[in-house]
Order: sequence, then structure tokens, then C-alpha cells
Amino acid sequence: MKRRQIWLFFIIFLLTLSVYLLINYPLQLGLDLQGGSQLTLQIIKEEGKVTKDELDAVNSVIDRRVNNLGVSESNLQTLGGDQLILELPGEQNPLVASRVLGKTALLEFRTQKAGTSTNLKTLQLQRLNIKEIIDQYSSSEKSQYDENFLKIIQDDLKEIEQELNYYTTSSDLYGKLIEIKKYVDKEITNLFIKTDLTGKDLINAGRRQEQTNSNWEVLLTFSNSGGEKFADITKSIAGTNQLLAIILDGESISEASVGNQFANTGITGGSATISGNFSAENARELEVQLKGGSLPLPIEIVETNTIGALLGSKNILKSLYAAISGLIFVGIFMIFNYRILGFVSVLSLVLYGFFNLALYSLIPVTLTLPGISGLILSIGMAVDANILIFERIKEELYDGNTLTRSIDSGFQRANSSIVDGHITTLLSCFVLFLLGTNFVKGFAATLGIGVLISLFTSLNCSKTILRFFTTYQSLRQKNLYLPRNNFSN
Amino acid sequence: MKYNLELIKNKKRIIGFSTVLILLSLLGIIYSTLYTSYKKPINLGMDFVGGNELRIERVCETECSNLSPDSVYENLKEISKNQKVLNNLKLQFQNNNKIISIRTPYLSIEESNNLISNLDNIVGPLNYESKDSRLIGPKLGKRLLTNCVTSLLVSLFAISLYITIRFDKKYALFALLALFHDLLIVFGIFSWLGITLSVEVNSLFAVSLLTIAGYSVNDTVVIFDRIRENLKSKKEGYNETIQLSVNESFRRTTFTSITTLIPLLSIILFGSYSLFWFSFALSLGIIVGSYSSILLAPSLLLKD
Repeated sequence: MKRRQIWLFFIIFLLTLSVYLLINYPLQLGLDLQGGSQLTLQIIKEEGKVTKDELDAVNSVIDRRVNNLGVSESNLQTLGGDQLILELPGEQNPLVASRVLGKTALLEFRTQKAGTSTNLKTLQLQRLNIKEIIDQYSSSEKSQYDENFLKIIQDDLKEIEQELNYYTTSSDLYGKLIEIKKYVDKEITNLFIKTDLTGKDLINAGRRQEQTNSNWEVLLTFSNSGGEKFADITKSIAGTNQLLAIILDGESISEASVGNQFANTGITGGSATISGNFSAENARELEVQLKGGSLPLPIEIVETNTIGALLGSKNILKSLYAAISGLIFVGIFMIFNYRILGFVSVLSLVLYGFFNLALYSLIPVTLTLPGISGLILSIGMAVDANILIFERIKEELYDGNTLTRSIDSGFQRANSSIVDGHITTLLSCFVLFLLGTNFVKGFAATLGIGVLISLFTSLNCSKTILRFFTTYQSLRQKNLYLPRNNFSN
Repeated sequence: MKYNLELIKNKKRIIGFSTVLILLSLLGIIYSTLYTSYKKPINLGMDFVGGNELRIERVCETECSNLSPDSVYENLKEISKNQKVLNNLKLQFQNNNKIISIRTPYLSIEESNNLISNLDNIVGPLNYESKDSRLIGPKLGKRLLTNCVTSLLVSLFAISLYITIRFDKKYALFALLALFHDLLIVFGIFSWLGITLSVEVNSLFAVSLLTIAGYSVNDTVVIFDRIRENLKSKKEGYNETIQLSVNESFRRTTFTSITTLIPLLSIILFGSYSLFWFSFALSLGIIVGSYSSILLAPSLLLKD
């Protein structure tokens, strides 16, 4: 008698605790329920595995870039050994983030090889030509289906190809244009020699609008040693016709000459500006990238999911309908078939629901759509244990045993089947959680937690509730435990 | 107790029926591998092959104007620049033209945004709050596929190991046979759905197979437990005891299946569209799983 009461109080205590937790620590909703974007970034490494240090380094660069972008409430986490997941809640456009994050942003300062001036001029001219053609092609609307227009562009391209003695192999026109642009960029970069001044020597970056026109320029501030290197480099080419190139990810974004007046000291002061026809947006992106530093390994955005906020709240509502209607119909089915026992299982199901949700907010588990379906599915599994027990109890009752005895041996004899069945499901959940993607993990987590809790609620809680009921004489009639049709024969 | 399934009499029929189901599934899988455009045992969705999936609602006053996918396609052709996208674009209207859903090969976020603004010009205004867009790179797709197949194999192995340790060999063998029977049939049905209705499978399908595996084994274990228990107290012959045990557990197994099917049915009816085929696969698995636990696995145990 005493032990029974302790259990009852324990269960009531747990229920109160769950309600308290749920009120004070609301559930975390996944992006498919609250709306937002999720980007999966894959670290690219040609050979070998990405090491922990490399992962951390990439993580911190991305983290700095995200912070500098001023995205609110973003969440960055690593997945597996070589992926990062960035979540942007709400209606934030993933486009800007993707542009800023995807670039390696490796900044280099290079000096021109002597005697390549003519070569460079030709290439610069072609680069300008190609840029114009691409601009024309992509700004035109219907016109690219106009045969004449296409012909002109194709002819222009052919001319450039002949000039450069490089022939593109892409299948479509746009691809060809991009290909030749890359070729020219590479050729230009090859005319410059690496120096030891790189993005690592920066301590800050900024941007401002140029005074003469509406273009933007990006300001670089070097560290002390970086400033000295910059002075040395500029000194070495001052007054010559060799240019200084600023190269970002292998593409030269600015080529400038250094005037004769710097021949003695080089450009001192520890700062430089890049003015390469930046729009306000481009300047800001470059600023954020340079501030965050360059990525030790290139990354690629391999997945982007975006869910509108309205759709998210609709998803919550739909899941709620599904969960509640599932619960109600299961309840009706159980009460219809098992009468008082069915009622007990409904009570323990309600407890089950509360315990589950409380644990989600405690761990915390972020609720997603697959997560909710795991929860709803586990309702069925939780009831399964009850059915096993109740069938046994009924059998014992049919065999003429007393109610108390039937209940005791019913719980006892169903035990091993219940544990076996739960273990196989837990095995599946465990594997899913270890190997699955983010999406799948949500399902595995809620189903697994559900299976564990249902062991407790279906074995302990239903037993305690049932024993509590049977302390009332009026609830001890056998016919309350057996369906009417069965009892009649 | 109230049920009297004549397992012994119908052994041949049950095994025959399952054999037919398995052959049909295999036929679907082979047909799908050889004669479909995708040449895979099952129609892999964009989780596994990469691509862009977009679903967005239109803002309409009362009723959405009638539009044919072809006319939208024609318009899109005029304003869009990316040939690659246009050549492999699938466009559908749902819900009385209110919802547009589009599938294309993999696009960058920028290209996808362009596509949406082009659509806005043609069929707009669009409700961006209702947008559901997924972009998956082909690299990630391949990785997901390997991931899913590994998870399936590892957990099947773990379950097999557990069953073999827990039961003696014969029981373990038949429980596993029933399990693979269930998985093969669900897989086969989705092969056929892919062939006939172009239903695709995504990573959630792999999840449903895994869940079905756990569930099917659970069901079989309960019945085998009962058989073992009854054989110990042996009142009747071997075959009769098996038949009795099955009839004793019949209620439990069907009831459990029903209580699991009810929530699944409510997800199918009320839940989000993204969970429809997932719940469908699970429901199928539970139905096939109950059949194999009640009728097939015990029939295999029967002696001639």
C-alpha cells in the first residue's frame, strides 16, 4: 500500500514538473515550423579527411562572416566531420549569406613580371570586351532568342577566341562566355608574381563611397608587419611600368601603378584601398569576407532549404490536428475495447505526451516535422505495450483469477515481449540518429525518446493508475474490465 | 481464444501468396531498373539525385485564374536565360491553380531567386510567406544515398544480431525472413508507384523502411515469445500449439496495428503534404508486417 502511494505521488510530481518545464522553457521549433532558411556548407578537400583543426578553423571564419553580416539569431553548427549547417530564422534572404559565405576570400598582393606590359594590355582589353558581352547577354530580356542578336554575340566571341588563341568547349553560349572570362582572368593572374603579403596581414577592412562617382571602394588596414611589407613591395616597383595587382581567389580585382614619388620609402601608413567599380553590395560583401579572414579550405553550399513563415505556422497547425485526432481516435478505440483498462491507457497516454514534450524542452530537442511524426507514430507504439498487458490481464480474468492477481501477472508476463519489441525499435532509432541527416535525426530522436518513455508510462504509470482505481470497491467489478460481448458468453 | 485461424490447413496457400507478392515486387524492381527513364530499382527523388524543388502559393482574390503549365512554360522561355533549367523543368498546378510546384535540376540560390521572380511576373503575385524551396547539390545527394543505404544495412545487421542472440537459430531465421519479406514488398510497391505514378522516394522513405524493420520484428517477436511459452507447457502437438499461440496473439497484433495505423492515417489526412508518402509507406509496412507476423512467420515454423 505504501509503495503504491509513493509511485502515485512520484507520477503526480513528474507531471507537475513537466507542466512547469513546458511553461517556463518553451519548445524550440525547427525551421520547417517557424519559417526560415537552412544552408548546408560542405568543406572541400581534395585529398584525405578534413581534420578537427581545419573544421574548427572553417567554422570560426564562417562564424565571423555571419556575425559581420549582421544576421540576427543565426545558428551555426557542425555536422559530421566536414559539414556546417547555418540556420537563418525568419524572412532573411539566404542569397546574400550564400554569396558571402561561399567564397574562399583568399587575398593576395602580386607584382607584375617585368616586360609583360603589352601582353597585359591585350588581356585587359579582352577582359573588358568579354564583360560587356556578358552584360549585354544577361541584361537583354527576350532578345537572346532573336537570331541576329545571338549571331552578333557569337561572332564577337569568335573574334576574341582567335585573338587569344583559346577556343571554348562549353555547350551553350552562356557557358562559353563564362569559360573565356575565366581563361582571361587566369592569364592575367599568371602575369603577376606572388609576394608574401596576403589577407593574413590585414587587421581590418572597411568601405566608403568614392568622391568622384557613385562607386564604392574597399579600405584595407594592415598590421605593423603587413604595413612594412606593403611599403617594401610598393618601393620595389615604384616608378617602373610594373603594376601591383590585388588578387582575390585567383582573380585580379585591381591593377594599379605605383608612382615615382614612392621610390624611396614605398607607400607607408599601413593602409590601401581597392577601387574596382564596386557596387555598395559588392563592397560590403568583400568587406565582410576580408574581416572574417580567408577560409583555410574552400567550401561549397550543397543544400539550401527555405520555408516561408506562413507555411511554417500552417505546418504547426496541421501537425497539431494530426496529433490530437490521432490521440482521440486511439483513445476511443482503447476505451471501446478495454473499458476501464482502456481509460487507464488513455490517462497514461496523456502522461506520455506531457513527459515527452517536457523532455524535448529539457534536452533540448528541436521540434521539426519529421520529429512530430516520430512523436505521433510513437503514440501507437506506446499503446502497443498497454494492449499486450491488457490482453494478458483479460486472459487471466477468463481463467477465473481474481482481479488483483490478474493485473499483477498480466504486467509480469507481458514484460519480456514489451522489452524485446522496444529494443528492436530503439536499435533502428540509434542507427538513424548516428548516420542520418539533420532531417532524419529529428525523427530518430523523438521516436527513440518516445519508446524509452513509453517503457516507463506503460509499465509503471498504467500499473500505478490501475492499482489506484482498484482501491475503490465500485471499480473492482470484473465486467468493467471485459468487453460486453465477451463477457456475455 | 475467440479466433480460429486455420494455419495448419492453409500453410501452402499462405506461403504461395507471399511468394506471389515477392515475385511481383521483384518484377517491379527489375522492370524499373531496365525499362524506365531513370534506370534505377526505385525512382530516386531529389534528396538523392540533387535538384531544386519549389512550391509556392499564388495570391488570388477569390478564385485563381486557370493556367496551363504549358503557357507558363512558354512565358518562362521568353524571359529566362538559363537553357539548362528550361529543358528539364517540371511544372504543376495544384489546389485549383493556387499552388505552383516546380522541379528543376540543381540551381544556385541566385538562379532559383531569378526563377521565382520570373514566375512572379507570369503568374503572380506570389505569396512569399508560403514558399517552400529546397536546393540540393548533386554531391550531397550521392552522399545522402550512401548514408541511407549504410543506415539500413547497419541497423538490419544489428537487428539480426539481436534476434540471433535472443532466440535460437530457427526462430531467428524465420523472424528475419518475415522482416525481409516485408521490406521487399514495401520497396516493390514503391517501385511500381514510381513506374506508374512517378512517385519518388526521398530520405524519409529510408527512414520508413527502418521503422518498418523495427516494427515488423517486434510483431514477430511477440508471437514467437508466445509460441515458446506455450511449447514449454506442451498440452497439444507442436503444430497445434503454434496455431493456438497465433490465435491467442491475434487480437494483440491486429489491435496494435490498428492503434498505430490510426495516428498514421491522421497524418495522411491532416498532416503536412511533405509527410504524405512517408506515412503511406509506414502504413503499408505495418499492414504487411502484421500479415507476415500473424500468418507467414508462424506458418514457416510449422512441421509438415
